[in-house]
Amino acid sequence: MANEKKNFFDRMQALDRRYIYLVVALAIILPLIIPFNSKTYVTEPAENVYKKIDSFVSPETNLGRRDRAVLLVFNHDASTMAELFPMEVSILRHCFQRKIPVFTICFLPTAKPLMDYALQTAKEDFNVQSGIDYVNFGFKPWALFTPIVLGMGDDIAKAVETDDEGRIVENLEIMKEIKNYNEMNLVVDFAASAAVVRWITYARSRFGANVAAGVTAVMAADNYPYLQTGQLVGMLAGLKGAAEYEKLVDVFAMHRVKENGVEKIVSRNYSKEVLKDSWIKLSDIKNTSYKMARLGMNAQTIAHIMIIVFIVLGNIGYFVNKKRDAKK
Amino acid sequence: MSFEAISNFIAAFFTLSIFSFLYKDNPFYKFAEAMFVGVSMGYAIPLVYINTFIPFVYRPIFVEHNFWILIPALMGSLYIFRFSKNYSWLSRYPIVFGMAIVGMGVPLSMHASVLVQMRSAMMPIETLNSALIFVGTITILLYFFFSKEHKGVYGKITNIGIWYMMVGFGASFGYTVMARISLLIGRIQFLLGDWLGVMK
Amino acid sequence: MKRQIPLLIVIILGFIFAIHTFVPHKASADFYDWYQTWMKAISPFMVLLGIMSLFMVNTAKIRRKVPNWQYSVVTLLSLIVTGAIGFIWGTQEGTPFMWTFKNIQLPMGATMFSLLAFYIASAAYKAFRARSLEATVLLAAAIIVMLGQVPIGMAISKWIPEVSNWILNVPNLAAKRGIALGVGLGMTATSLKILLGIERTYLGGGE
Repeated sequence: MANEKKNFFDRMQALDRRYIYLVVALAIILPLIIPFNSKTYVTEPAENVYKKIDSFVSPETNLGRRDRAVLLVFNHDASTMAELFPMEVSILRHCFQRKIPVFTICFLPTAKPLMDYALQTAKEDFNVQSGIDYVNFGFKPWALFTPIVLGMGDDIAKAVETDDEGRIVENLEIMKEIKNYNEMNLVVDFAASAAVVRWITYARSRFGANVAAGVTAVMAADNYPYLQTGQLVGMLAGLKGAAEYEKLVDVFAMHRVKENGVEKIVSRNYSKEVLKDSWIKLSDIKNTSYKMARLGMNAQTIAHIMIIVFIVLGNIGYFVNKKRDAKK
Repeated sequence: MSFEAISNFIAAFFTLSIFSFLYKDNPFYKFAEAMFVGVSMGYAIPLVYINTFIPFVYRPIFVEHNFWILIPALMGSLYIFRFSKNYSWLSRYPIVFGMAIVGMGVPLSMHASVLVQMRSAMMPIETLNSALIFVGTITILLYFFFSKEHKGVYGKITNIGIWYMMVGFGASFGYTVMARISLLIGRIQFLLGDWLGVMK
Repeated sequence: MKRQIPLLIVIILGFIFAIHTFVPHKASADFYDWYQTWMKAISPFMVLLGIMSLFMVNTAKIRRKVPNWQYSVVTLLSLIVTGAIGFIWGTQEGTPFMWTFKNIQLPMGATMFSLLAFYIASAAYKAFRARSLEATVLLAAAIIVMLGQVPIGMAISKWIPEVSNWILNVPNLAAKRGIALGVGLGMTATSLKILLGIERTYLGGGE
């Protein structure tokens, strides 16, 4: 080969990887600078997470029941934040808007600032109070993961003892009607690992807790068996899952209506028909943190096409050369 | 320059330092990497102290005077002998105490990952899809049964399992591509949006 | 004795736990309360392991002046400074601790993994070859799932997301269930081996 004249395909195969890197960067930078409106369709697993959380709203008051709560578990560090952070912010916004009691906890030191950051970002537009509308249980060491998962089946306040601000959880107002998984009836685990299986194993198998997953796309395909059995009530998968939830929150929980020229936010109940015809103009949403995933999906589209083109080009070169070598 | 602009500049500097590895390994990358390791570990110390040591060790012993807690606290401090040549056996005590919970793992993981999955695999076959899932599950299990040589009819059956797995791995691979791209999108959103302010 | 007593603790406590799973008696609940309190008191000390190992590795590098030892100084300094910041100003939102997170740890952690996007693209071009029929099936499934996830898939044909969902819900589900059953049995077997004292690697080497 060394003495032979290299043909176009040989050169293509030997292309310096740094040129490829350049194309990758451009494929992501351009769609972010020049945005276009793309429509994210909502999948069933994401829909189910939304519906489950919304089922904690009392039909009489149209606000969250005080004897129901959602636990959000931040089981990841900054490395997978791009995928999971928008999910966390949207679920928090959903709970804050609907006044559903929500708890947060993490078991990794590097997840703790991320959890604070998510709470800070989500509560910007809401008048919510720690200890009444939500509680951040804070960071607990990984060694306590299983003991706390099991302990919460009996008594949440006893299992976590103190919250992030050092207050005794038992004394907090939000805990008045909440004791264990019977009330805190949904756990959403955000992870880049198989941590959600541990919630299924310990909280679901033993106490019948509802578990949902907010996972990086890498882990998503592995969770389908658990979705089918109902061991997972729903799942948000990667940036797309985050984009789906962002959309669901904007279409239902935070539906914008104009009355006499004044914009108002009205919560409405989930409906498949409404979702089908809904169209959210992203430029109407001022806070970028609330549309991060949907903006990202534009770049995702271009990048996927680029990868597919790479695979096809690479294979064309491979087959042409294979044919040539076979002729020899 | 506002404080926020300076902060974003620093964050962008570290982002670009890591990206510089794509060109080749260089001192900026090495510096950032070394710092990253230190900072990540550094987080753990005050967090563990404030969120764990104070409520679970200090308060029970010194405020509530529950002196029984001295025993597990002393047992926990045996971890420091892990790297000692002569006394590393002492660090086994806190380790085994945490390990004991596997006693619960036996029945519960059997239930969650085996029994419930099996029950779903044995549902009446009513649709084409449920038939396909049934065939797939069985043939894959047979593929992983290595006590019989994969030849003849048996080999053909296990071959079906391979096809299923290829589709499964393909799905995982497609999702993996998506995940990796998303992470890059996140970083570029930061550089273009927060730092340079050119993102719409 | 240095191995036997710890092993005995695992076996005895482990069996109590196995019984606890099925017995909702008060004694069983009290046992769990006791275990939980003790485990909580043990847990803070575990962080010592990580810090000590990081210190040992890096001080050894500095002492021996191995190539690039200067970076070990950076690691240790960052560790000490970050820890100190947390102790002095606390760890809540708005503190310097959070500032270091947002502007130092977060950008680096997030960027480190985002490099993989470049590598996977390069691999797509240079390594993902349809060398056999099986590999072709893998690539085809991957391409459909990739298209099915992004809005353009829907724009090309409404069948793309449908097929992508079918792949995930049928053949992928069967494949992952087969594997999950294997993993589940493996996990149960490993737990059982620990419980019965057959698996002992977690005890570490030595006597």
